[in-house]
Amino acid sequence: MSYFWTLLIYGVLVGALYGLVAIAFALIYKVSRVINFAQGEMMMLVAYIAYSIALVTDGNLYIQIATIIAASVVIGAIIERVIVRPMLGRSTFSIVMLTIALAVFVRAFVGLFWDTDSHRYPIAVGGEMVSIFGVTFLVSQLVLLAIFFATCIGLWAFLKYTIAGIAMRATASDPAVTMLMGISVKRLYSIAWVISAVISGMAGVLYANIYHVGPSIGSIGTRAFPAAILGGLDSVLGAGIGGIIIGVVENLAGGYIGSGYKEIAGFVVVLIVLMFRPYGLFGERQIERV
Amino acid sequence: MLKSGPSSGELGGSAPVAAARAGLEVANAQIFYDSHVEAVRDISFAVPPGQIVCLLGSNGAGKSTTLKAISGILFPEKGMLVSGSITYDGRRIDRVEADEVVRGGVVLVPEGRRLFINLTVEENLLVGGISRSAADRRAQLERVYDQFPELPEHRHRISGYLSGGQQQMVAIGRALMSNPTLLMLDEPSLGLAPKIVDSIFEAIVQLRSNDMSVLLVEQNAHLALSVADFGYVMERGRIVFDGSANDLMESPEIQEFYLGMNASKQRKSLRHVKHYKRRKRWLS
Ligand SMILES: Nc1ncnc2c1ncn2[C@@H]1O[C@H](COP(=O)(O)OP(=O)(O)O)[C@@H](O)[C@H]1O
Ligand SMILES: [Mg+2]
Repeated sequence: MSYFWTLLIYGVLVGALYGLVAIAFALIYKVSRVINFAQGEMMMLVAYIAYSIALVTDGNLYIQIATIIAASVVIGAIIERVIVRPMLGRSTFSIVMLTIALAVFVRAFVGLFWDTDSHRYPIAVGGEMVSIFGVTFLVSQLVLLAIFFATCIGLWAFLKYTIAGIAMRATASDPAVTMLMGISVKRLYSIAWVISAVISGMAGVLYANIYHVGPSIGSIGTRAFPAAILGGLDSVLGAGIGGIIIGVVENLAGGYIGSGYKEIAGFVVVLIVLMFRPYGLFGERQIERV
Repeated sequence: MLKSGPSSGELGGSAPVAAARAGLEVANAQIFYDSHVEAVRDISFAVPPGQIVCLLGSNGAGKSTTLKAISGILFPEKGMLVSGSITYDGRRIDRVEADEVVRGGVVLVPEGRRLFINLTVEENLLVGGISRSAADRRAQLERVYDQFPELPEHRHRISGYLSGGQQQMVAIGRALMSNPTLLMLDEPSLGLAPKIVDSIFEAIVQLRSNDMSVLLVEQNAHLALSVADFGYVMERGRIVFDGSANDLMESPEIQEFYLGMNASKQRKSLRHVKHYKRRKRWLS
């Protein structure tokens, strides 16, 4: 396989990870106009919890999956209940500030409760290598890709066909009126936070599985945020695609220009796109009222 | 002379034993914005079951504020019912959340329609039925499409691209999706051509039944009185007139200042409001 294609394919794999986290950003933003700057830290927390459970359960896959979902749901629900809900009706800016504080808190908590070193992730599956078209993958990398696509399709169907999903899009369009329809905005917010926590939690564990468990997981949030902007913050699928684009661009830049350019390449692409499309590639432009 | 306001029993006509259906009663409501703007001073009125009651008055009188208070959506605008009470069918609804008011059967079609403009017509309607079960929602959707035969052909269109009249139908249909017993409409004629307004008002009259009453807020007094049973006139946060629609239509003051009014007369009505308040006070 040529150098270019190898870079591209690995870029897609990294991008799928960014994409998942970007989707988590976009979902919360879509319903509440809040940017959750603790998204990366939430995924780190889930990864650490899953890691500890994996240590004592010999990496049993089913216990892992149950842990990831349970921990994410609890973390998402608690954060929504404790930090977001009391702030309803305040400016979204103050909620965003709180998520930044939360990020700092979670990082400190993880450092104290676990440590600040990197560890190999002790799960019993996913470490095998497979070779497809001459490119070698970890099985868990393929699992990541599958989960990415499943999440995109699942969320798309959720937003399009379920009443809760339609209500979320309605809230994004006119939150004051959704209340008039008998929608409990609080419930929608907590659904959004829980789904986001599960998605980013999965991403955190997948990252840990492919690379390692460590505080660097939290910084995936910072890398994925431009992906969400690129796709259009209020477009859930767009955020996923934005993730893939950033992953590919980073990897190509790293491979052809130099590793030092890897991290800024994504931001440069975002800047260029925003110059032409201020709402991002797939962001919804408001229709003028008739 | 104008009759004084109805008690729900007097106008409902039915036996007071049927206490489950007392309709809407607003008593001595006083509403502030931002702790210091008194938008509604001390108003009391009733919407008995099965009636169309209109609330008239010029811009800024406090009509929308009153409707928002009933719906429980004042708080995002820092509005608050500081005294008085709002009951529906005998139950206090002024301290419950907006979604509970809807589940209780009271729904508002807001001023300016406020559709979810990025959603399709059908999605707008479905969201309106969110408080109901999926099966009820489907059944109600068909009823709304029957009520507004123009809508089914547009069901998959983005609602923001519809004409103003069609948007108003979607807005009313969306409210009907919750199967309300009290439908409140805030200036449904606003910005629509007269022919379209006629068809909207025809639909409103058809909607009224024993099971559904209508609270209609309008600046267009003639139009509103032509479909209503009873009317109240608000000025500067107070009710200054009330009476049956016929009485109001024939009252010289109403004729002069609210019917067939033009811009200059509208201003005049505001200047003379103090005079009216001295002549006729509702619950002073
Ligand atoms: N969000 C708000 N904050 C402060 N004052 C308001 C607000 N909304 C309305 N008002 C004031 O309350 C009064 C009544 O307004 P409104 O109920 O909208 O009148 P109407 O619907 O009869 O035209 C007006 O003086 C208006 O300026
Ligand atoms: Mg108004």
